[in-house]
Amino acid sequence: MELESIKKIYAGYSNVYDALFKRFFYPRIKHAISYMDIKPGDRILDVGVGTGLSLSVFPRYCKVVGIDLSTEMLRKAKEKIEANHLNNIKVMSMDAMCVGFKDDSFDKVFISHVVTVVPDPYKVMSEVRRVCRKGGQVVIVNHFKSKNKVIETVEKIINPVCKKIGWRSDLCLNEFLDKSGLNVKQKYMLKKLDFWHIVFATNEK
Amino acid sequence: MVVDKELLDILACPKCKGRIKLNEKKDGLVCEKCRLVYPIKDDIPVMLVDEATALN
Repeated sequence: MELESIKKIYAGYSNVYDALFKRFFYPRIKHAISYMDIKPGDRILDVGVGTGLSLSVFPRYCKVVGIDLSTEMLRKAKEKIEANHLNNIKVMSMDAMCVGFKDDSFDKVFISHVVTVVPDPYKVMSEVRRVCRKGGQVVIVNHFKSKNKVIETVEKIINPVCKKIGWRSDLCLNEFLDKSGLNVKQKYMLKKLDFWHIVFATNEK
Repeated sequence: MVVDKELLDILACPKCKGRIKLNEKKDGLVCEKCRLVYPIKDDIPVMLVDEATALN
């Protein structure tokens, strides 16, 4: 899917995104950020920050920059930043495959529900690894192709619908992590039968 | 301020990954190497190559 189509889809989502997705996405986002080893002064990049569902979970003692392709989604995130006086957080529009930060700019990168909605997930991971410092933490929350027969069947049924709304469900977790070159410390799902994986990794350079 | 010094220190042109700076009006971020201006719209910097304008 091309970037322009993705922009249009998410501009359309921006008004209903929280109502539709908060229930599904927020528990895992909250869990993953809570278990990140965030230290005072850490600089954190939130890739695909969207409407800012994750922002209130980050501790106030770290500095967060949230990026998203969709400016419409970011407007919603900005409303949350202003309403909650989250002065430690900034948002900007960027393409996750072509990031506008210098090398080694961040201590940690949080990337939730992104790698299956972009044209090239490996380009995204290459940029994530470039802007994250050596030894920094990379945390991924995402759906990957399931090995469970029940979920696999559900995926096959919903795959055409997913493709239409800009999601792919055929990305294999282990292959993705191998190709990304991350040093995986932990990977798990919150429930035995879940659609989403949580991955904690270290950025070795 | 939307783009403070701390943020400017880590920002780079998404195209060449080189230095960028705020323009005089403070409504855009300039890459002199690529001759591009990335706009700041409603206090949100838009660091997308296809939405940048040519630097005069």
